[in-house]
Amino acid sequence: MADSPLLSMRGIGKSFGAVPVLRDVDLTLHAGEVLALMGENGAGKSTLMKILGAIYPDHDGQITINNQPVALESPRAAAEAGIAFIHQELNLVAGLTVAGNIFLGREPRRAGLFIDEARMGRDCAALLRRLGFRLDPGATVGSLRVGEQQLVEIAKALSLDARILIMDEPTSALSQTETEALFRVVRGLAEQGVAIIYITHRMEEVFRVADRVMVLRDGAAVGELAAAGAPRRELIRLMIGRDVADFFATHRRPAGELVMEVEDLWLEQPGRAIGRSRTLDGVSFSIRAGEILGIGGLLGSGRTELLETLFGAAEGRSGGRIRIDGKPVTIRSPAEAKRAGIALVSEDRRREGLVMLAGLDANVALPTQPALATAGVISRRRELDLAAGTIRRLGIRAAPVQSVATLSGGNQQKVVFGKWLPTEPRVLLLDEPTRGIDVGAKAEIYQLLAELAAAGLAVIMVSSELPELLSQCDRILVLREGRPTALLDRNEFSAERVLAFASPGYAAAGGSDEQYQPA
Amino acid sequence: MSSTSLREAAVPYAAWPRRIGRVLLHTKLYWGLIALYGIAVFVSPVSSRGVNIFLTTANQSDVLRQVSNNGIVAVGMTLVILIGGIDLSVGSVMALGSVVCAMLLTQTGWSAAAYLAIPLFGAFVLLMVGWIVPILVGARPGAKPGCWALGLLAAAGATWWTIGQLPGKFGVLGVLLVVPVVGLAVGALNGVIVARARLQPFIVTLAMMVGMLGTARLVAGPDTTVYPVYTGTNATPAFESLRLLIWHVLPVPGLFFLAAVVLFSLLLRRTTFGRYVYAIGGNEQATRFSGIGVDRVKIAVYGIAGALAALAGVLYVAQYRQGKPDAGVGIELDAIAAVVIGGTNLMGGKGSIIGTLVGVLIFGFLGNILQLRNIDSNTQLVLKGVIIIVAVMLQEGNLRLLRRA
Repeated sequence: MADSPLLSMRGIGKSFGAVPVLRDVDLTLHAGEVLALMGENGAGKSTLMKILGAIYPDHDGQITINNQPVALESPRAAAEAGIAFIHQELNLVAGLTVAGNIFLGREPRRAGLFIDEARMGRDCAALLRRLGFRLDPGATVGSLRVGEQQLVEIAKALSLDARILIMDEPTSALSQTETEALFRVVRGLAEQGVAIIYITHRMEEVFRVADRVMVLRDGAAVGELAAAGAPRRELIRLMIGRDVADFFATHRRPAGELVMEVEDLWLEQPGRAIGRSRTLDGVSFSIRAGEILGIGGLLGSGRTELLETLFGAAEGRSGGRIRIDGKPVTIRSPAEAKRAGIALVSEDRRREGLVMLAGLDANVALPTQPALATAGVISRRRELDLAAGTIRRLGIRAAPVQSVATLSGGNQQKVVFGKWLPTEPRVLLLDEPTRGIDVGAKAEIYQLLAELAAAGLAVIMVSSELPELLSQCDRILVLREGRPTALLDRNEFSAERVLAFASPGYAAAGGSDEQYQPA
Repeated sequence: MSSTSLREAAVPYAAWPRRIGRVLLHTKLYWGLIALYGIAVFVSPVSSRGVNIFLTTANQSDVLRQVSNNGIVAVGMTLVILIGGIDLSVGSVMALGSVVCAMLLTQTGWSAAAYLAIPLFGAFVLLMVGWIVPILVGARPGAKPGCWALGLLAAAGATWWTIGQLPGKFGVLGVLLVVPVVGLAVGALNGVIVARARLQPFIVTLAMMVGMLGTARLVAGPDTTVYPVYTGTNATPAFESLRLLIWHVLPVPGLFFLAAVVLFSLLLRRTTFGRYVYAIGGNEQATRFSGIGVDRVKIAVYGIAGALAALAGVLYVAQYRQGKPDAGVGIELDAIAAVVIGGTNLMGGKGSIIGTLVGVLIFGFLGNILQLRNIDSNTQLVLKGVIIIVAVMLQEGNLRLLRRA
């Protein structure tokens, strides 16, 4: 039975207007197989999957399931054919319980009217047990963590007897531990015979979960490899179509003068931090010009909060001493941070980085408005010059007046960088600077980081991708539950070490906190 | 690139209707106004001498006069809605403005209005000269003590000047300067609560609407049957100038309205302040994270809305010859409707003052033609409601009711 594929897509093509986005793509998938689908943004991964999920019913080529040709005309038809699509953004009702979400729209009823909560809870518990998910059916979905919500979404899909599960970058919002848990779930489902298509940007994940990798580039399938032992460089070459010899370039630290000193920084967020008084406590470090300091730690360890506190944007009360170029500064708002020479490229471009309704020019000019105006009246010419200069300097593929909503993730991220550079910051804070952008853009961002550091900026970077931290940073400060546990130098770097210092219970297991010595 | 030219080469004719369609879509706002205008001309009664009454200069300038109060309030409302807020208190502020204006005009000595207005005016001048203007012209914080000293001097002068008007009665310039400051203060208070306490603008301004209605009544005096009446003779004759028709065509309130349109249109399009307004409405968090004093901009916007509402109160006194605490009842809804018809997004970040001008004129011409046709006022309200829905649906560019979800 393993010989005949569960799903086969032949000669799939799709055009928007006259622009072809997919050309003659073949894809086969067997029951119990995990297929990783890789490719840069715009390579056609999402389009291919939206065809399979019947979000685009109109396409060339043929789809067969169990050797039966199927016409997937609507998402509903796809669901009936056993195809479930788990989108990057979860589609759950936060106010309902786990069981309520899983059975939404098909709740068991009593007397045809009243929801049979008891039966729904029982059915849900049985389902979760079968899948091996440790979730409480009665818990409100809004109170769950993102990783758990993802499990709810998966359970919901599988409760509809899905045989083919499409997961679109499922780990983009997950912590390391949640990611590990998800990998186990994916492997478990595959063992139960579910076929899984797993879209991802992250090389590590391919090696961890997939049986096979398929790479798309410019709308065409450019390669298929067995995941085990697939050479990393070969995958990158397939994805971006050229060899990137020094993708993980190591950064040399030039000796620069002391730029920022942070002593005993703390943050209190009433109602946020449960079980401990302070979200951040006792954080001290210093950073020199040209240095890239990484902040490691698990999700919820206070990494983002540390950056937000330094930027004056954290909710709650905070304290500690910050000196820039030797002078003490008080930072109570982003405006004060900007004046002190601190810039933040935040984690969520859409929420905190960009005004999506506006053009590239207006976004780039936002932090530097007063400098572009005379007595409050804007010089349009200066604004456009600034936008054009930023486009040139950062290699953004866009027009100065183009709406930022139409840009790819990588280009959007460059716009966020671009809007801060004209403020001539001394310290650049980066929160997950390469999240959700493709390999090519990632390499460009790393290149930019190296240039900025070389130009004398002090860079503080938060990342949940360990390879990124290890390859880009000069030192790594590890946080655990808001407390610093280690400050590692480059010669002490290793993934195991960072993880060990970041994980709860490490100290109890024999590790020591002595490693941490504020410099 | 080759595919683009290929497409253009393949369908040279089909592109044209599409392009025209796109232009029509972009200018639909104006087409709505023009269509309404055309219909109005068509259905207008004609006098015995064959003159189309709707088209007479007298009627046209009367429409402008009628819409100018709503228009001035709507200009301020546009700013508030652009930052993603709402201001329900403008009606009460306009009423308060009308009461304060009528009292300052007609009463000598320290009336309740004078007690309210003069300290606020002094404080306003102090803040403007001592703090806000230095920020606007980009003076560094180092220059502060000097600015404050200058501010105190100016405030003393301003207070002395206003108190000097009390023994006689306030002049036109007096009320035009002082009354909007009262509105500005109320609006700024709205802004402070919205920005600092992070409360919903709907709730804050609803509370302010009720509170200011009460304040207007308290200022007007205990005898609520007798409001300060400006008869045209018991105040400075110069106040009559606010009723003038310039060259027999342009009503002075209309002039104020158009001036506000031009001024705030330029403010929104050409200044950093305008950019911040759009940015806040588009993404407040991202704007804050760009190191911009979002709270200050919000306070300024609500302050402007209040000042314009109070200015409308002054013009109300000139037109209706009285100031009364229920002068602006319901005007906030007319203003919001005009702003929304004008294409400004209620979520903020998108829209324009010109759009609001068109929205106000659509309302004005509609009311006017219905009046000329002697259609009863209740039917007019129903039609207004229908127009709002239809106009907004057209703005959205679709008629979803007709389509299946």
